[in-house]
Amino acid sequence: MTLIADRPGPGAARPYRFPPVVRRAAAGGQVVAAHLPGQNLAVALLLLDVGAGQEPVGKEGLSGVLAKALEEGTAQRDAAAYALAVEGLGTALSTGLDWDSFQASVVIPVDRLSAAVELLAEAVRTPRLDPADVRRVRDDEATALRMDWANPGPRADAALRADLFGAQNRWGRPMHGDPESVAGLDVEDVTVFHSEWFLRPGTLIVAGDLDRIDLDALAAAAFAGTGGGPAERGGPIEVPLHSGRRIILVDRPGSVQSTLRLGHPSPHRAHPDYVPMTLAGTVLGGAFTSRLNHLLREVHGYTYGIRGDFAASRRFGRFAVSSGVQTAVTAPALVEAVGEITRTQATGVTEEELEVARSWRAGQLSVELQSPRAIASALTTLVVHDLPDDYHARLRESLLSADVDQVSAAAATHLHPEALTLVIEGDAAVIRDDLEATALGDLLP
Amino acid sequence: MPDSGYPWPIQTSRLDNGLRVVVSEDRTAPAVAVNLWYDVGSRHEPAGQTGFAHLFEHLMFEGSVNVAKTEHMKLIQGSGGSLNATTNPDRTNYFETVPAEHLELALWLEADRMGGLVPALTQETLDNQRDVVKNERRQRYENVPYGDAWLRLLPLLYPPGHPYHHATIGSMADLNAADLATFQAFHQTYYAPNNAVLTVVGDATASDVFALADKYFGALPARDDIPPAPDGRSVPATGQTAVESVSADVPAPRVYIAHRSYPFGSPGYNVITVLATILGSGRGSRLYQRLADGERIAQPDLVGAYGVDLAHAPAPLIATATARPGVSAERLAEGLAEVVDELATVPVTAAELDRAKALLSTGWWRQLSTVDGRADLLGRYATQFGDPARIAEQLPALLAVTAEQIAEAAADVLATDRVTLTYLPEETS
Repeated sequence: MTLIADRPGPGAARPYRFPPVVRRAAAGGQVVAAHLPGQNLAVALLLLDVGAGQEPVGKEGLSGVLAKALEEGTAQRDAAAYALAVEGLGTALSTGLDWDSFQASVVIPVDRLSAAVELLAEAVRTPRLDPADVRRVRDDEATALRMDWANPGPRADAALRADLFGAQNRWGRPMHGDPESVAGLDVEDVTVFHSEWFLRPGTLIVAGDLDRIDLDALAAAAFAGTGGGPAERGGPIEVPLHSGRRIILVDRPGSVQSTLRLGHPSPHRAHPDYVPMTLAGTVLGGAFTSRLNHLLREVHGYTYGIRGDFAASRRFGRFAVSSGVQTAVTAPALVEAVGEITRTQATGVTEEELEVARSWRAGQLSVELQSPRAIASALTTLVVHDLPDDYHARLRESLLSADVDQVSAAAATHLHPEALTLVIEGDAAVIRDDLEATALGDLLP
Repeated sequence: MPDSGYPWPIQTSRLDNGLRVVVSEDRTAPAVAVNLWYDVGSRHEPAGQTGFAHLFEHLMFEGSVNVAKTEHMKLIQGSGGSLNATTNPDRTNYFETVPAEHLELALWLEADRMGGLVPALTQETLDNQRDVVKNERRQRYENVPYGDAWLRLLPLLYPPGHPYHHATIGSMADLNAADLATFQAFHQTYYAPNNAVLTVVGDATASDVFALADKYFGALPARDDIPPAPDGRSVPATGQTAVESVSADVPAPRVYIAHRSYPFGSPGYNVITVLATILGSGRGSRLYQRLADGERIAQPDLVGAYGVDLAHAPAPLIATATARPGVSAERLAEGLAEVVDELATVPVTAAELDRAKALLSTGWWRQLSTVDGRADLLGRYATQFGDPARIAEQLPALLAVTAEQIAEAAADVLATDRVTLTYLPEETS
């Protein structure tokens, strides 16, 4: 025999260490940095305490338009000159938004970091926001969203979110807005939002070789001209569950696949069950080896993949499953998915499954937290959720020590198969009767 | 910045059966990347068997002599690792990154499927993964606007019989016709140690890796008659332009302009890489400045230009733009062609060149900032050019490209055989 039959066991584990974290107040703002000795690349990320949650209802997408408008010229130079200055350093201004925060960042060789942070601050703090430019950016953003919404997914996501959280609430509407909400924004919306939120100092996050970085100089550039305190965050929002499952059909005529989005509300990020919930979600739908992916992909061949997880922001959370399945098997795929969620809620997880889930989640910390970008993102989590420097080390320990009873209890408590909203974006004429025949829930008009 | 594009050690070895082993030690994090490049891709597929190399890649996760169906994923994820595989026209790569103490497990799994896949391959597995791949085709290519652009560009760029004429995902008809014996033969033909490169990067020493490679892969037999893919290096110019117009369910007109350039790895392709960055990367690029910002006929987020890094024939150079509302496809196509053509007539400035090189430089270091990024590149250079150390020359080569070389390459590549693919929104009734 040319192959070795015996599977090798693990060697001696090397300790996992999150890089040393430095926190300091400087130049009127907060700096949180991680030391990555010898690393050529560095990341600087300006984290502002304003997220989609602060956008007024009806003004969804405001932050996205503002983010694009930041690069349309600054107090010091026009848009083309700004682009050449930033890209001439070999970087690009990258912006991001979630429910709790806004971020603008640069990834760049460490020797050019300070010049890049100066340019980053120039755009965030002193954008020109010329009315004609803002209107053009708004129109471009509305067009970009129309392009995106022509893909399968965004309409189904919006239908699920509205049904879970209520479209009268900001958090019941798409995080990045929709083509209509963006098209309806005016110049003043953007300039007022900027002066209200983008001139507060926020937090400067830095990941790189701190021996080659002057944090105080970076802070001085990032926080120049800022003032005002952090925003009022608001407490967790109580979101009621529906009584009874419901089906929402989003028509996509001629579609060769049906896009599935199944979900219900779940706890906010600071909930004490965060770790066992994460692990329950991992067993059910989080890893390639999950129950849902095994059943729908590896056993039935209905899909290229299916995922499910709990996700949470400061104030609310949701459990959701997403997939694309061949049109002809839409109904059986849905029945199988709901069945697997129901089984997991009712009977919990096995030690064998949990062993994979906890080692995977814990191991991912050492595997994924390599690049300065990934480390900066981890620091962002610390700041947004008020977590201590040793959070990642502790997280590893709590993942590894979670037992079957705890994780099964989290599944029993936080999965609500009877309250699921089932959104299907597909060819309604082909799948409507099959969906009704499943009797999985009421088909909403 | 270091002078070399690869400031880490590289050590290589070759087992008696021909398996090349590349190791690059880096103790920064307790993780190790394992990567196998097999020198087989869709360019090896004969007519009637399109999509087979990629479908085969799926079968490699479905069990082997000592590994049960789905156990491969379970063992890697259960050790904290990430894993995947990809197939393209040139090659198939398999990779996992695991906490360092699980290196031996990863090597055992890779050896078992290199040497012991065929006895475990069943009709049931094939049927299941065929369905999965057909769903992948629907999800990625058929159910999204413009999703089939690549499938349409390839046959316009490469003539029938050329190894790049067909796309890696294959046709539904061929996938339906796939039979078990063909896949058993596919493995026996191409999945031999002397047709692969094993790369390990991260928290491991070269001597340990060489010993483990020998332990797990050393007894696998070499195969000495691996059939080469058809030679596609020379694609005679036709002197023709190819124009295809598609009416489809798309939200706005979009135009692609494509040319054959030079094979990845050649000096010419390095010039094309810089040229494409000047043309289409970032807000300072010519396409952005002219079409999105200047004339405002293109959507800002959707202009771009790039080379596709294929090594066994002149590689595609593609430029694309999508119309702003109210702009016709004709107007957009004219504007795009004008900016592309000016690469041959309007000299690249020093500022344009510096901007492109700075962006490429940062992109290079980002790619190398993880052990898995490094492992894949080392595997590429070892497989395609016979020497992983060539990786160190790549960044300096890009940084040495001159404006004159760009003008020459533009004149050469853009002069003839242009492919233009246009998408038009269907008339809605």
